[in-house]
Amino acid sequence: MTTKLELAELSAWYGPKQVLYDLSFTIPDGAVTAVIGPSGCGKTTFLRCLNRLHDAAPGARTTGRVLLDGVDVRRQDEITVRCRIGMVFQKPTPFPHLSIYDNVASGLRLLGVHRREELDRGVWESLVRAGLWEEVRENVDAPGTSLSGGQQQRLCIARAIAVRPEVLLMDEPCSALDPIATAKIEGLITELKREYTVVIVTHNLAQARRLADRTAFFYLGKLVEYDRTPELFEHPKEALTENYVAGRFG
Amino acid sequence: MGPRTRPRALTATAPEPELSVPPFRSKPRFEQRLRLLRALGTGFHAASLTAAAGVVAVLGAIALLLAVRSQEAFSRFGPRFLSGTLWDPVHGVYGALPAIVGTALTSLLALALAVPVALGVAIFLSEFAPRWLREPVAIAVDLSAAIPSVVLGFWAFLVVGPIMGHTVEPTLAAFTGGTGPFAGTPTGYDVLTASVVLAIMIVPTIAAISRASLSAVPRVQREAALTLGATGWEATRTAVLGPARLGIAGAVLLGLGRAAGETMVVAMTIGNIYQVPTSLFSPGQSIASEIIGHLESALPGEQSGLFALGLLLLAITILINVGARALIWNFSSTTPARRGPVGRRTAALRALEERSTGSPPAAASAGAGGTGELGVSTVRRGAARPGAARRWKHRTMVAVAGLATILALVPLVAIVGTAFVQGGGAVIHPGFYTRELPAACNPTGGSRCPLGGIGPAIQGTILLLAIAAAVAIPVGLLAGIYLAEYGRNRLGRVLSFFTEVMAGIPSVLIGVFVFLLLIATDPTVTYSALSGGFALSILVIPIVTRVTEDALRAVPVHEREAAAALGYPKHRITLRVVVRSARTGIVVGILLALARAGGETAALVYTAFGSPFFLQGLDQPVASLPVLIYKYGFVSQYANWSADAWGATLILLVILLLLSLATRLAARAPSTDQGNA
Repeated sequence: MTTKLELAELSAWYGPKQVLYDLSFTIPDGAVTAVIGPSGCGKTTFLRCLNRLHDAAPGARTTGRVLLDGVDVRRQDEITVRCRIGMVFQKPTPFPHLSIYDNVASGLRLLGVHRREELDRGVWESLVRAGLWEEVRENVDAPGTSLSGGQQQRLCIARAIAVRPEVLLMDEPCSALDPIATAKIEGLITELKREYTVVIVTHNLAQARRLADRTAFFYLGKLVEYDRTPELFEHPKEALTENYVAGRFG
Repeated sequence: MGPRTRPRALTATAPEPELSVPPFRSKPRFEQRLRLLRALGTGFHAASLTAAAGVVAVLGAIALLLAVRSQEAFSRFGPRFLSGTLWDPVHGVYGALPAIVGTALTSLLALALAVPVALGVAIFLSEFAPRWLREPVAIAVDLSAAIPSVVLGFWAFLVVGPIMGHTVEPTLAAFTGGTGPFAGTPTGYDVLTASVVLAIMIVPTIAAISRASLSAVPRVQREAALTLGATGWEATRTAVLGPARLGIAGAVLLGLGRAAGETMVVAMTIGNIYQVPTSLFSPGQSIASEIIGHLESALPGEQSGLFALGLLLLAITILINVGARALIWNFSSTTPARRGPVGRRTAALRALEERSTGSPPAAASAGAGGTGELGVSTVRRGAARPGAARRWKHRTMVAVAGLATILALVPLVAIVGTAFVQGGGAVIHPGFYTRELPAACNPTGGSRCPLGGIGPAIQGTILLLAIAAAVAIPVGLLAGIYLAEYGRNRLGRVLSFFTEVMAGIPSVLIGVFVFLLLIATDPTVTYSALSGGFALSILVIPIVTRVTEDALRAVPVHEREAAAALGYPKHRITLRVVVRSARTGIVVGILLALARAGGETAALVYTAFGSPFFLQGLDQPVASLPVLIYKYGFVSQYANWSADAWGATLILLVILLLLSLATRLAARAPSTDQGNA
């Protein structure tokens, strides 16, 4: 597998507080990579470093490098980076004043797509890819917030893939959802990895096991272990990992 | 004080930790005590409901009294009262059109000038400004809102008017060829100047409420837009302005309501000629400025016409305020789903579906390996390149918003600066604070005018505020307690809504109401300190009610539940736990409300009236700083009175700004210590 993202001694701070310590590992192309670890271990911050969202937070700072296809994201224009690396948040974030259609179209419009046929096509294809079309085909002019939580999350996925990113970051995308909606999103992620490099942060160990090709275990901002998912869960090399995946702390 | 009284409260209703002497061993005594508590609770509930209903009843009383007293004008002229252009007390002909047009023109033009600046300020402070700059600038904007309108008007009369008349308006006339709205001779005291100064007045209000709406949009919404590749400005436009739009619309309407009801600023800048303005350079008159300028000398018939004008103004401002409050209250709710036939977009997407039957894109792209034409085809992968234009647009918007913020702060600096330069000479004399006004005098030849003082005005302002506080604080507190603690029902919501509307009533109408209620009914009764204090209290009560309600609602439910679990009856929970917990917010709110009353003019001109002398009795006219500025700075113009007015301006400005600053800092300090307490 080719490498999509490479981290080199990545450290991150919020003000004086260091939250990530010297992370170095590689994320393969066209696969799902999960990041697991107890609350406050820096999973989310890690994700936000990849698309430079961490830089936008007040008092935030990073050192080290994040290489996307071998080029440091901080040497690239942040808008380009974010177009190449999409993100889905923990809670669904449809723009509350926009319709389903306009939510998906919003990213396309930012890229300067304004012709009606192109927008229609982009929106429809994104909705189909996100597995939402069948559920919204009655009326795409309904507000995005009129959908259920799971549908809203798939709407956000549709919005993210409409601008054709190469990487999709997912920050605990199912933690606010019920099991049925979770199953749909998980099925979707498995579909999406054919085309996208997916990095998913989750506190749900079973989910990481089901979805991820590789899993990284973080503890207190440090990378403890990173391996193929079955290896990490069945034969962890570190005692800390073993205790965590066995549910002895968390 | 808290730690000492709290255990005493506990012993009344809950057992002591050491259970040697249970407080209610005898059952009859316990039940007697319970009956007493129940009676107290009922009484408290009734008292607070009375207060809350009383606030709203005043609104009804104002409308009723104005309607009754304007009957004569309406019945004599009918609809012609609205369309008439003449105001002729000699022949008894009254038409409202010039005042209506003047009000509409100045307030709408002010809005057009103020909204772009205010939105720039709000967006800059909420979205673009560096963190360290946000708080100080926000406080400075708040302070601009604390400038009394009489001070703004006085400054505009002496500074803005000449600038407009000599520089701005001739330039505009030259550019436009002096046609259309720019026809006529620029004088500097006209519709345009009044609009500009009104705009200066409402920018801080609109900016502060809009900023609150913008800041209420969750941070993650902005980040969602950023992750789609939006620039900072695009994220603001896509993710923030949309959800905040109703709140902003409400802020704009509130600004319009304030502009339409403003008295002093317009009276001192519009030129005071009762005519339908034919251009922006025409002097005119607004409803409020016509009332404040003519009520004193009006004949009975003319009075009725003025009250009819007042009723119109009341109706206009209530409509605007109801609209604004409805928008602000609902701005969290989402728009309902559109029903009806399938929209164009839904139809277009279904057409795409039909064309692709048999090969939906998901299945097709799986076969193609996700590399080429299939999948989301509108955007080619990696094609996303931010145009330099988009970045420049972001930078331009940041610069524009920053400039708007600077522009919005100019009046504060200019007014404080002018007040120090013009009033500094007067206030350094100790006698300035104790003496009465001097005889009117303009210096001629080598003679110098005697310099007087503002002693009576200082005395009067303190007295008026004391009366207002004595009435308004208990009533406002009770009403606020009702709305927050008992009013979680339809009645409570209605009362709460109209309390907000009441807070937006033009102060000149409150002055007219008290004038009608106390003074105009009985020829033996004159303007008095009591009626002035009463007018100020009517002005202040809705504000105290609202801040109390807000502060109490912010107290977490678990504090109430913890006390309820100890067996506290509701009125005791309210008074001993909730009110105490919210006391910082309430005290700050009361001080800000009194600060507003301290700068109030329009409500005092026909109630306390003003006086050159020290207090001669509570039933006699009394001086105050704002009315002194209006009467001796604007109405009568003599060199040494003007100097006194500037001195009074400086004193009033410094006191009110310091008070606002101190209360705002006090309000912020504990909230950073205790989180959301």
